[in-house]
Order: sequence, then C-alpha cells, then structure tokens
Amino acid sequence: MPDPEVATTKVRFDLNGSVAAVDAPIGQPLLTTLREGLGIRSARGTCGVGVCGTCTVLVDGRAASACLLMTQQVDGREVVTSEGLVGDHGELDEVQDAFLGANAFQCSFCIPAMVLTVRAHLDEHPDADAEDVREALAGNLCRCGSYPEILAAVDELVAARAADDVAARAADDAAVDREDPR
Amino acid sequence: MPVASWLEPTSLDQACDLLADDEFESTALAGGTAVSLMLKMGFLDPERLVSLARLPGLDQIDVGDDHVDIGAAVSLSQVAQHATLRACLPSLATACASVGNVRVRNIATLGGNLAEADYASDPPAVLVSLGAVCVIRGPSGERRAGVEDVVVGHYTTSLEPGELITSVRIPTPPGRSATYLKYLTRSSEDRPCIGVAARVDRAEARPDASVTGLDVVVGAVAGTPQRVAEATEAEVGRPLDRAAADRLATAYAEAIDPIDDARGSSWYRTQMIEVFVRRAVIELSDGPGRGGTA
Repeated sequence: MPDPEVATTKVRFDLNGSVAAVDAPIGQPLLTTLREGLGIRSARGTCGVGVCGTCTVLVDGRAASACLLMTQQVDGREVVTSEGLVGDHGELDEVQDAFLGANAFQCSFCIPAMVLTVRAHLDEHPDADAEDVREALAGNLCRCGSYPEILAAVDELVAARAADDVAARAADDAAVDREDPR
Repeated sequence: MPVASWLEPTSLDQACDLLADDEFESTALAGGTAVSLMLKMGFLDPERLVSLARLPGLDQIDVGDDHVDIGAAVSLSQVAQHATLRACLPSLATACASVGNVRVRNIATLGGNLAEADYASDPPAVLVSLGAVCVIRGPSGERRAGVEDVVVGHYTTSLEPGELITSVRIPTPPGRSATYLKYLTRSSEDRPCIGVAARVDRAEARPDASVTGLDVVVGAVAGTPQRVAEATEAEVGRPLDRAAADRLATAYAEAIDPIDDARGSSWYRTQMIEVFVRRAVIELSDGPGRGGTA
C-alpha cells in the first residue's frame, strides 16, 4: 500500500519504446521506480552515489546514473535500459554481441551498465577509437575484475566498426563510379 | 520529512519567487546530481523541490569576440566537448571533462556546480582563475558577481534566497593562455587531492611577450578556491620562467593552510601544492597554446 504521508506526482516517460506512467514519490530515485514499479532488472543499485555505474540508463540517449536522478526528472523523456537494446525478435545489439563474443563478463552484475555506456558513447561519437571508449568506461566498476575481457570486447567492436566503414565507403565509391564512369 | 511538493517553474521570475518564499523550505535543482546525494545523506530536508529544468534559455553557449557566455543549465559534458570552448577555454574544458564520470557530467550543470560550491570540484578554481563572472537573477532583478564572490565558503555561496545563477561570463582576451592540473590520489573518477588552475595574459600572443596578468588558483585544499595575490602580482611584467615558477610554488605552499581529508593530509597537500603550482606555471611559461591538455 502506498504511504498516504508520502506525496507523489504522476510521471510519464518513454521506457524502452513503451509508455511508462507511474505515481512516484517526490524525489524517489529513478532506479527505485524502474526496479520496483516497472519490472526493470538490468539497472542495479550498488553504491547509490553515482560512482560504480551499475545503475546506468540512457536518458535521451545519454548515459546517466539512475540512482542520482529523481523520477520526476525524466517526465516526458526517453529512458533506455539494456532490455531496450534487444530487437523485437530478440536480436542483440552489436555491443551486446561484442561482449558475448569476448566472454566479457564473469558474474555479469555490472555488464548491462557497461554495455549501455559503450552504446551511448558510440552513438554520440561514431568515430570514437577504443581509447575514447575506455575513457568513457572509467566510471563503470567490475568487482570480478573482468576488465581485460571487457576492454577486448570494446577493441574488437571498434575495429569491426572501422572495417565496416571502410567497406561501406568502398561500396559508395563503386556506386559513384558506376553512375559517373568518368 | 518526505518532500511535500515538486515544482517546475517555466519562467525565471516564477522560479525566483518560488525560491524567495521563505514560508517553505525550498531547494532548487538543475541536474540534481548534488541535490540527490545531499537528500540521500540527510544534509537536505526540503519541503519543496524546485526543478529548474523547464526554465527557457539557460542552455545556450554564446561565443563573443572577447568573452564567452555559458548558460547555467549547460552540462559539464557540453562544456567539455564543445569544439570552440576547447579551443578558447582549454583549462575550463579540461576541468569539466575531469569531473566525476561521464554519467555525472552528462547531467550536472555548470550553474549547479557553482551553486553547490563543493570545495573539491574542479570547475570553480578554473573559473576563478579566468576571472569569470556569474550573472545572477533574483526577485529584485539581475546582478553580477565574480565567481570568487559567489563561492564564499565550504559548500556556501553568497546567493540570497530566490537568487539563481543564470549564466557565467568568461573573458577571452587575446594573448591569454591557461591550464588546469588535477592531481588525484585515489581513482580516476575521484575529486582531486588538489587542482591547480593557472592563467597568464601577455601583451602579445608570443611566449616571450611581457606578462600583463597572471593568476594561479588552487582548488580542493580549503573551503574555497585559494589564490595568493601578492605572489602573482609580483610576477607581472617579469619573465615567466623557471625562477618565477619556483617563487610562486614556494609562496603558495607557504601561504595556504590546507585541509585534511581522505584524499590527503594537510602536510601532504602542502607538498603537492608546491609541486603542481610549479608544474602549472612552467607549462604556461612555454607560451600560449600549450595549456589545457595536461
């Protein structure tokens, strides 16, 4: 039962492509709202002070700590958790694939957040090199110490994206050549 | 006590009036990263939370001929990644890029950073070194105050109830170079043990041109950013060389009485002030254009 002493507000936001509408106690961390009211399990509370990164979510495409955002702050905005990266038919995001491919996890507790941090960085900086992505990951902690595998996943992903770019440019050039035989 | 109401004013006047109303204990929040932490720790117990997120016009960056205006709601990430700011205000971009982690920088705002007045945050010392001025709106109109007159104590500002920082104006005169050195004793996302912001103005944009202005500001060592004005003023008009760096390093280490905290004892901080003031000045002694990347 909701506590009648606690004031709430109605908050509506886009959560992984669907509308989420909740009555949230004023100031309640978004993390609590996601986990206790909306069935999200991939955002996880650990430090509670924005340091460890396990509660990472994307708000309007940018990484944020759900423990430091009040639910009211995301009213009308777009929130993505790692559940939201999976396609309609279960197809994984390229970052998820890269982590799986590199066995970049042990217990996996921190991994959804790591994946989101990498996703957001690559969306904001499509030409980022592996060093840039490592810098972005500086705020995500892994207690198992799977960092070598996590960074290997990042390196492989960045290299694969660069190779795809080269291939795409070559295909574009070939198409232009066909249109303009000079 | 749980928070009784959440308010989202849509104009500055409305926001100032709400916050000036002292019948209610009101706390303003912009990005809310600091307010969230303080609520969790029980340092704040407001009756009303006043979100500034829907105030129009505070998210602009305007680059003028001899100054830059940064709106209070601009995030630290935006400052850190803005190509023009990185070129014309490298020490500020460096400092903003080094605060916390990417998640905090995406949400925390420049105005909120100053209003929090966290003694161990990076931007305030840099803004003081650059002579930045806060534009402040209150129930009785607008006023301007240097950042050193806004951040006046440990988590304490000179802002009156109902006053909000709306933008920060930073001079960008020709012949200026600046740097920020952050010294960490724990992990990469931590607050600094000390931070040294240095700025030099020269008559011309050449490394050997005479020094017309100099400031060195040390952050995270006391309640407010620290400067030793006698020491910097004495160097104006002289070559900014290794000897000057040594004199400034000694003067700063002697004049500042640092705090003790988990990032370093007072004694240790004194040693590091000497080291990092020297390094910052040496970096600028090589001339404009080098600062900000350290």
